[in-house]
Amino acid sequence: MTVEEQVKEIVSKIAHIDKSIISREATFKEMKADSLDVVQALVAVEEKFDIEIPDEEAQKFRNFGDFVDFVAREAAKKKG
Amino acid sequence: MKPLQGKVALITGSGRGIGKAIALKFASQGCDIIVNYFRRREAAEQTAEEVRKLGVRVEVVKANVGDPEKIGELFDAVGKSFGHLDIFISNAASGVGRPIMEIDEKAWDWTLDINAKALLLCAQRAAPLMEGRNGKIVSISSLGSKFVWPTYAAVGISKAALEAVTRYLAIEFIPKGIAVNAVSASAVETEALKFYIKEGLVKDVKQTTPVGRMVTPEDVANVVYFLCSEEAGMIRGQTIIVDGGTSVAPWASVIEKGEG
Repeated sequence: MTVEEQVKEIVSKIAHIDKSIISREATFKEMKADSLDVVQALVAVEEKFDIEIPDEEAQKFRNFGDFVDFVAREAAKKKG
Repeated sequence: MKPLQGKVALITGSGRGIGKAIALKFASQGCDIIVNYFRRREAAEQTAEEVRKLGVRVEVVKANVGDPEKIGELFDAVGKSFGHLDIFISNAASGVGRPIMEIDEKAWDWTLDINAKALLLCAQRAAPLMEGRNGKIVSISSLGSKFVWPTYAAVGISKAALEAVTRYLAIEFIPKGIAVNAVSASAVETEALKFYIKEGLVKDVKQTTPVGRMVTPEDVANVVYFLCSEEAGMIRGQTIIVDGGTSVAPWASVIEKGEG
């Protein structure tokens, strides 16, 4: 599974969102994820990839794609 | 020698706000500090730096206290680094600001787990580390446990539970030599408050505080410090309110204020 697929899986499960409406362009608001869904998704993704997503960074995510890109970058750094 | 020299304190959620003020207060009295954070590493590192400058030992440990497994890891880290614990401050808090009709099970669990269940689980892990050391535990509550604010239901309810946990711990921990109390504050000048002001949920706090100024994190830290002293030894299971008189003066906006 790609990073995007794994993140999609987590967000879908936590926020009870159908995977079909999660796209790179979709904002959390459009996906009807509330602030608690977002925090819980961040925490779950951090655990899954053993990375940290600081709130300061998370606030910059414009959409799901930004989120995935950040995770992919950090996960790659981790692997070194 | 400073009064808390050789002692170790763990303060959950001590990267910012009230927790940070407590960490700095205890460090200024010679106490070694474990700074715990969940989401903001930079803030926690900053607190640790300020604590270190006060000449004490400091460790930073990330843990979500809403997760029992992470609580285990947090206390394992404390045991590994220091071998014991003298003071535990249950300060970390979170919550979902929603009207009652919008509080779903997830929002309830998130808020209650972090704000109330964490005290129980942390106290269970803290007690063995405090054996023979006259340990102190203080939880941080808020006036929302007794009084109603818009969209504060989940947090207010969790704080009521927190205060109840505090009372039961206080009595059951007497044979262990551990003193347990809570400190409850009204609106405190922190980043969390900025959120409530932005949302229009808190306004004119100075107008409703008879003392004429807002409660600061340091005001809360000073009382927490007192509760951890031997002078406070006969205070058990209490919730001490730090609110500049707010809760006893419901008509404060029409009474004469202090100079702050």
